[in-house]
This record gives sequence, structure tokens and C-alpha cells, in this order.
Amino acid sequence: MATREPETGWHGENSDVNHLRGRAFEATCLAATAFGLVSVMLLLLFVANDAFRPFSADAGWLATYAATVVVPLAALAVYYYRLDEPAGEVAYVTSGLPVVGLLLTGGFAVLFIELLSVLEWFALLISLVVAGGLIVAHGRLRPKAALERLAVVLLAPIITVFGLPPTRFNWFVTDAAAALGLDFGLYYRVISLREAILMLPFVPTDWVMLLLTLVLPIAGAAGWFVEQRRESRRDGLTVVGLTTAVAVLGVVAGPLLGIGTDVWLLIVTFAVLPLGVYVEGVLRRGEGVRGLAFPVVAVLGVVVGGVVTGALGFAGPDPWLDWGFLTSATSRTAADAGIYPAMVGSVMMIIVIVLTTFPVGVGAAIYLEEYAPSQGLMGKFVTLIEINIGNLAGVPSVVYGLLGLALFIRVLQWPQGSIIVAGLAVGLLILPIVIISAQEAIRSVPDSFRQASYGMGATRWQTIRQVVLPEALPGILTGTILALGRAIGETAPLLMIGAAASVRLAPNSFFDVASMMPRQIFSWSSELDPSFRHGVLAAGVITLLAVLLVMNATAIVIRNRYQRTG
Amino acid sequence: MTENEMTSNDSTEPTPTTETAASSPDPSGDPLIEQSIDVEGTDATAGETGKPVIESSDLNVFYGETQALQSIDLAIPEKQVTAMIGPSGCGKSTFLRCINRMNDLIDAARVEGDLYFEGKNVYDADVDPVALRRRIGMVFQHPNPFPKSIYDNVAYGLRIQDQTENIDEKVETALKRAALWDEVKDQLDKSALDLSGGQQQRLCIARAIAVDPDVILMDEPASALDPIATSKIEDLIEELAEEFTVVIVTHNMQQAARISDKTAVFLTGGELVEFDDTDKIFENPDSQRVEDYITGKFG
Repeated sequence: MATREPETGWHGENSDVNHLRGRAFEATCLAATAFGLVSVMLLLLFVANDAFRPFSADAGWLATYAATVVVPLAALAVYYYRLDEPAGEVAYVTSGLPVVGLLLTGGFAVLFIELLSVLEWFALLISLVVAGGLIVAHGRLRPKAALERLAVVLLAPIITVFGLPPTRFNWFVTDAAAALGLDFGLYYRVISLREAILMLPFVPTDWVMLLLTLVLPIAGAAGWFVEQRRESRRDGLTVVGLTTAVAVLGVVAGPLLGIGTDVWLLIVTFAVLPLGVYVEGVLRRGEGVRGLAFPVVAVLGVVVGGVVTGALGFAGPDPWLDWGFLTSATSRTAADAGIYPAMVGSVMMIIVIVLTTFPVGVGAAIYLEEYAPSQGLMGKFVTLIEINIGNLAGVPSVVYGLLGLALFIRVLQWPQGSIIVAGLAVGLLILPIVIISAQEAIRSVPDSFRQASYGMGATRWQTIRQVVLPEALPGILTGTILALGRAIGETAPLLMIGAAASVRLAPNSFFDVASMMPRQIFSWSSELDPSFRHGVLAAGVITLLAVLLVMNATAIVIRNRYQRTG
Repeated sequence: MTENEMTSNDSTEPTPTTETAASSPDPSGDPLIEQSIDVEGTDATAGETGKPVIESSDLNVFYGETQALQSIDLAIPEKQVTAMIGPSGCGKSTFLRCINRMNDLIDAARVEGDLYFEGKNVYDADVDPVALRRRIGMVFQHPNPFPKSIYDNVAYGLRIQDQTENIDEKVETALKRAALWDEVKDQLDKSALDLSGGQQQRLCIARAIAVDPDVILMDEPASALDPIATSKIEDLIEELAEEFTVVIVTHNMQQAARISDKTAVFLTGGELVEFDDTDKIFENPDSQRVEDYITGKFG
């Protein structure tokens, strides 16, 4: 230390530490980030411009809406950001809730139009509720019979939803009944409760069934939530009562407004109810009330803008992505083309993927993390499997398409290009991702919780069920939803398994041949008419991205909501 | 008070050390509670050897190639506090985890020899470790409540063991016995993670005793806590020994001297060097190595 030259020092001009390389590195990293972000944003802007074509509108139209909607909302946003943050939060939620609610409404409306009749939904739900009731009742009556309980848990839903296939026992019962001169028409099998409901000669009208199976349960849940929060039974009952009243009112008022009764019930349940509860809470607490101005100003701005542009005769834009695009099938003319059947196909494919990949992937992750031995020969084998799951996550998607083609279409002879085949092929593709992310989530549960549970004399199953899974679930869900986001955009496997290039009718069953959004977009890209390639294609891409964005936002909300504090 | 004792012990030579342990009823400014504990704990029961409830004979434990315990013979008496002391890595925690077969959870661990609980070898093929752990509760070094409510934490053991009758009463009793009831009775549905470290550890003790085990194993239960929380835990252990057999591993020799009836000294290499009444170990140990360890010459 004493040998250091006097002119080098730790302050002033001649500091002997060189920061140049560090600064240069930092600048390079910043440049890389900026380049990536800017190029992606430019690309998205181009696509969005093609899809919405805002500049096809009159300048007057744009100016009017800028004055009535954009400027007031921007001013409000700045005000919230600067002066009133709680109000900003309120504005955010009150603008977001209706959007999410309407999306859910749309989802259920499509479900009832394409997949199930309201009666089928009603029968399915009643059967599941009865099965749940049986399981609970058994648990109450015979709490100690573990094996019996397992049988009840497995069999009750199967019997109520699917019935029992023909067995010797059923023949015996039916034959005995026939011998007594009774013919139940059981066809040698026990029919399920679901089928029995479908056969009923008189069923309630659709809106009554929806009220019973959708509106009341959700209103009940909201009422219970409010009751817990405010410790007031009256408030909870008010929520249930008001919701039901508004729902029933719609049965009368809906047709006058030109809204179908079923749609009215869905809107009340998914949009009006949560928004109402939230707004009431904000008003009662009195914090951030000014945030409520945001959605009001937005709606008013649109209405005023419409009146002004109508009166002055300004023509609006002619976007490719409009209501017609979302609700009609593809067509030979670009102006009529839509994405609706492909959207339904994508959603049904996602349902197949969720129902198959989620249980298999999470089950595999639980086995690998909690049960698999880590020592000895088996331990080495498990390590080999884990490494290969990692490798499978990197296998190109076209290979999974080939696998789907060979396995499901050539071997199992399922219809080419059907939703079930598409769902299973893409499901296999994301399975390794689901396994790995679920493994990560399970691994992040502290070992001390497991130790504590085992130390209490819990079995492995009790430990996993009561300690590990509740802790890991948010992580598992986040990872799975992100993987589903990847699945919905996959194109190559769909091409390999022969998904339809374009279909005019939305699929009604999982064995129907269908198109999915990325497949439909791909086929638009090879149309001769340039309006397809520039306009319709862009509209499709934006729709797909919007669906993805909603899914990722859901994942983020789940993650933030359940993140453990402390 | 606790700190006074510690410093005096650490800085003085053998004789005063042992005096502190043996003669703490002597009124020397210690608070009443400490005195009464020592009277009850050390003096009242010292020397009377209870019926042994846990006995090991020729117990060896290996982690892979490393031997962690070497031929341990030990008999732990019923309804007393038995302390295990020794330097880090001496195998005292390993021995503790052998008793309720928590070592089964470590793939690399291998146990040879016999360990009897109420006369039955717990390593027999027909012993279910899960059922065994329901009789032998455990409290860990770091407080590890579940991320559930206080109530659910205490009720956890009752629920998994299907003891779902009078669950409210049992939770209340366990919290009272763990001297936590008055602090948490109004916030039973709050998250256990919001409690302080000392409260969390008492909650873990409540969780362990709620299912009414025969033995409670404690693996350095106070090492992550501050002196005040530590003294509360120590008081609690003294009281628990009236109903339960308590086996406690500790780094803290003064703690062992204060609360235990019997002390086992493990030294490096997984060897049990001496096991006797606590007074004897701290006053007049047979082994020179134990004396060296206790007086702080090594370890």
C-alpha cells in the first residue's frame, strides 16, 4: 500500500479505476433492448394499421373522436397519474371489468350456439352437482371408509354423466323388470341422470335453466363473497336479490331492446354483477371515487362523437377487423371474409389441450418431483427422463405434427384435420413445457413445509394434497396458461395433420374437421387477391394476438394475486 | 438474566460453570420464573431415572459413504427432558431424526442397528413410519408454520389424523398449552406467517402437541430466536416435560444445563461420549473430552 504512487488516488480527476468498458457494455445492452422493442412495435403498428385502417376515415371524423374521446381520456389519465392514484386504480378496474365480462359473455354465447344446447348444459351441470352431493353425503355418513370413498369419487360422476355400459348386472335387472311386465327401455344399460334429463317430456324454457344453473350460482358466490367481506348477511342477500331481479327483468325488457334473453342473462352475470359490486364498494369506501369518471367519459365521448359525426356527415374508417369479421366465416371476397369458425376451432382445440395436457403434465411433474427416487439405478433413469423432457421441449413443432399424423390419423384412424387430433398433437407439443414449468412451481415450495407435514405424521399423499399443491398451484397455472398461449399460435402441426384451410361452418363436435386461427391466417396469406394478403390477414393476426394477450394477462393476474407475501 | 448467565458461563472456568447449572435455585437476582423452573426441572427430578421410553442399541447411520453415527447406545427416560449437545456435525440431529424415522425421507441415508420405542424396534419391517410419527411429534430448527391460518396450522395434524371431533376445543387447548392462546385468540384466522419468529415457533409446538403425541423431538428449537423468545420456549419445554417425553437437540450448553434432566454429549465423528444426569455432566463429567468441550476448550 505504501508503494503506491502519490498521484493516483480515489478522488478527483486521476481516479485509478477504469469505468470505460462497463459504460460501453451498458450502452450496448441498452441498444439491443431498444432495437428489439422498437422493431416489434413497428411491426405491430403496421399490422394494426392494416387491420383497422384508421386513415380511411375523414379527417373530420378523426378530429371529432380525438376531441370527444382521446383528449378527455388522456387528460383524465394524466390527472390520475399525477394527483389521484387510487382513482387511477378504480378507473383501470372499472374499464377492464366490463371488457373481461363481455369477453366471457361472448365465450359462453359461442358455447351455447355451437357446442351445447342450454338443455344439455343444464343436464350436465345438474348431473355433476348430484355427483358432488353424493360424494359429500358419503363423506359425512362414512368418514372412515377411505377405499369406499375413492370408489364413490370415481364412480359418482361417471354414473351421473355417462351411465353404466351393459354388464351382466344390468341385464339381470332389465330382464327381471321385463319378467314383471315392466319395460323401462333401458337397452341393457343404466342410463345416466344427464340422459334422463334430456329425455324429459317437459323441460323449463332456456332462460329459466340458465337462471338456475348460471346466474344464481354466480350471484350466490358473489353474495357469499360480499357477506364475508363486510360481515353483513343483508348485503350478501341484496347482491343475490338484485342480480336475480335484473336478470328476470331482462326477460321482459330484453326483446324490447333487441337483445336475446340468453345473452341478457350472460351479460348480467359476467359484466353487470361484478361491475355493480365493485362500483358499490368504491362508492361506500369513498376512496378513488373520481376514477369512476373514466368509463363514463369514455362512453359519453363515443356517444357524442357518434352524434357529431352523424350530423356533420363525416365518414368513419372502413376497418378489416370489425364485428362482421369476428362473426362470419371466410369467403371468396375479402370484404365478406371472417374468422368466426376458425376462432371456435381454436377455442375447442384449447379445450382438448386443457383437458388432456393439464392432468398429464401436472401429474408427471408431481411424480418426478415428489415420488421419483433420486438414488440408485432408478434415480439415474429418472434423471435420464428429466433430461429428455428438456430435450422434447426443444423438438420442432413440425415433428409433433408428424407424430400426430402417424399416431392419431394413420394408426387410430381418427378423421384427418379434426379438432381432437389437432388438440392432441399440439397438446403433445406443449406437454414438456407444462411438465417443466409445473416442476419448477413444485420445487419452489420450501422443503420445510414438507418436513413439517411429514413430522406431523402426514402421509405423502396428504402432504402433497394439503401442503405442496396449494402452494404450487398459482405457479402451475401461470406456466400452463403461458404454454397454452404458445399452443394457440402453433401452425406447423395443424398443417401436418391436415386441418382445413378454410371452413364455412363452425365445428359442432370435437370430431368435426375444422380450421384454427393460425391455419386460417396461413391460408389467407396465399390468396391471390391482395386485399386478403394485406387486410384480412392483418385482421386475423390482430385477433390472434388479442386472444394471446388476454391469456397472458390472465396468467399475470393469477400470479400477482396469489403471490405469497412475507 | 439469560444473557447474564451466558456471559458468566462463557468467561469463567469449569467450577463456576457447573455451579450455575446446579445451584441456580440460589437467589442471585434471577427472576422468579427461572428459579421455579430449575427447582422443578433439574432438582426435583434429577437423579430419579424414569422408565426408558426410547432405547437405541448399536445404532449406526450412514449418509452415502460417510458414517454419521457410530454405534450409539442410549436410553431416554419417560416424561423428562433429555438434551443432546455437541459441536456441529456431531450427529445429534441425525440421532433425533432416527427416532421418528425422518431420515427415511433422505434417499442417501442408511440406518443400521436397533432403536426401540416403547419396546418395539422402529426399524422393523412392520412399522409404518407415518403411524410412528403420529406418536412422536417434532419441532424444527427454523419455525416452519404452513402458509395457512393460525387455526388451520394447529388443526392440521388433527385433520390428517381424522380426529375431527371437538376440533375447536383441541386447537384452543393446544394453543393454551403452548402459551400462545392469549396472544392469538382474536386472530385465529390470520395467516401464521404474520406472527413473530418466537410466536411461530410456539405455534409449531402447539401444532405438534395438538395431536397428543407421547414424545416431542425438538431440533434446536430456539437457535433462530432472540433471547426473550428463547426464554419463553425454554419455560414451555419445562412445562411440557410434565406430560410428554421431550428430546431436545441444542447448540447452547447453558440451555441444556437449564432445562434438561439428562444430557447426552456427542462429539465429532458421530460418537456418543457421555450420557448421564445433567448435573453430573456439567459438574463432574467422566470424560476429559466432555469436560474440555463443556468448558469451551474446543467445539
